[in-house]
Amino acid sequence: MGYILNGFVRAGILLATGNPETFSAVFTTLKVTSMSIMASLFFGIPAGFFLGYSNFPGKKHIRAVVDTLLALPTVVVGLFVYAFISYRGPLGRLGLLFTIPGIALAQAVLVLPIVISLTATAIEGLDRRLKSTLLTLGARKKQIALTSLVEARHAVMTAAVAAYGRAISEVGISMMIGGNIKWYTRTITTAIALETGKGDFGEGVALGIVLLLLAFVVNWVLILLKRKK
Amino acid sequence: MSDAPLYEIKDLEYRYGDKFILNIPHLTIEKGDSISLSGPNGSGKSTLLKILAFIEFPCRGTVSFNGIKATNVNAPLTQNVTLLLQDPYLLKKTVFENVAYGLRVRRSKDNLTARVCESLRLVGLPPERFAQRRWYELSGGESQRVALASRIIINPEVLILDEPTANVDQQSAFLIKEVISSIRKKFGTSLIIVSHDHIWRNQATDKNIEIYEGRIREYSTHNIVRGPWTPAAEGLWEKNLPDNQKIYAVNPPDKNATAILSPSNIIVSTEQPVSISAQNILKGIITSMNLEKEPGKVRIDAAVSGMPLTCCVTQHAAGDLQLIPGKDVWVVFKASSLQWH
Repeated sequence: MGYILNGFVRAGILLATGNPETFSAVFTTLKVTSMSIMASLFFGIPAGFFLGYSNFPGKKHIRAVVDTLLALPTVVVGLFVYAFISYRGPLGRLGLLFTIPGIALAQAVLVLPIVISLTATAIEGLDRRLKSTLLTLGARKKQIALTSLVEARHAVMTAAVAAYGRAISEVGISMMIGGNIKWYTRTITTAIALETGKGDFGEGVALGIVLLLLAFVVNWVLILLKRKK
Repeated sequence: MSDAPLYEIKDLEYRYGDKFILNIPHLTIEKGDSISLSGPNGSGKSTLLKILAFIEFPCRGTVSFNGIKATNVNAPLTQNVTLLLQDPYLLKKTVFENVAYGLRVRRSKDNLTARVCESLRLVGLPPERFAQRRWYELSGGESQRVALASRIIINPEVLILDEPTANVDQQSAFLIKEVISSIRKKFGTSLIIVSHDHIWRNQATDKNIEIYEGRIREYSTHNIVRGPWTPAAEGLWEKNLPDNQKIYAVNPPDKNATAILSPSNIIVSTEQPVSISAQNILKGIITSMNLEKEPGKVRIDAAVSGMPLTCCVTQHAAGDLQLIPGKDVWVVFKASSLQWH
């Protein structure tokens, strides 16, 4: 038990003294997750909206595939993205392997089904009276679609937070695509894995605490946004 | 085109699956009309309102608006008609944004704030108190009035209201009636209203269309007497009521047939009639009395073994008989007065 408590004490010291290695991992994580979330929201919200709002043949099957992809293992995503962006892969020329954009790309693939599925669920869950109401107020197709998305904004924000939680906590992709390069692609989770492997619980616990703090801040911002809207 | 009626419905059929919801061979509504639709639950009133508001379209037949056939939801004519649902939906925004929405989608942003405030005042909601309230900070009656304000602000050619007074108090119901009367006078807005509140309905509209099982009956209120019917003496059929009272009818088409009974075919008496040819002499109690739109007529609602029956008498007769709510009366009508639906 003693070494766990010592870990907490070390965590306090690392954070209080602004340990550069710890903060490098924190900033890399923030950079990677911001990029991956932006990309997944950019593509995921319109796709999720279309899936939830429209009726077309095969919709149920696509929905089933998207929902299945919610359980995508990070190492599987890492493996496929690695195959694509490695120097022998079709996207090898882009030089994304062992870079921050490379990790962000793979994380975006990982969380895209979350954004699509939860956005579609949010749109499907809208009050049935909404469309009739907008029609009777004179709204046209595009205006109805846009207003529907605005009406579902809280649930869409929740989708974004869930996606962020998945991206910030994954380790397989960051390890495989980023290579855990110190001062460059080392994220909080890969650093925790490494430090724990080395037996340095203090650094691991410190990073774990930072990870939880980040998640807390993101959720708190969401709560504030919901209240404001 | 200006001579065309506001609405012209021809051979309209609307069904869910195999079930007929509406079947209207012909109906016209003229510009400036103020019409109410009445009928029992499930008779197709709300569906007809949605068709008239162009948010539903018939399976067969045509609905023309000012001579233009309605074809799809995006027809420009949907801009001229607005429907207020019984349980209105408010956008998850402030009252101001809710009321302004109709103008924003029309890109009509001149004097937006002033127009929103005027509409709110019109429905009795002071803008300084209500404009910045959020949708969840309103009572049921206030939500109804915000929804009404968001519709009258667009100055529609037709205002359609589905049970506007169902969830509001008397004061709000009065206010809604005042508002729709004033916009009708001011802008010539046509009104189509579904309401079970016959007093409010009579005051707010000029004529009533009764719908029963998806068909338009005629422009008045009728009693509906449902089966089952069992054979009785002298070739009559009877429906048993609690308290051992019976309603007699002639030749129902089937055992569960529904009969229509006009209020004008019912005689109201304070004493049990004797030596009378009418077969139906039923004891009841007056539950309410109201003035009819027709001058000199009083509508009497009575409960006969718990079954509501509406009768119509002259003001003079009501005075002579000293009819008041709570008084025991006899309602009398012929078996042949029951017309089969």
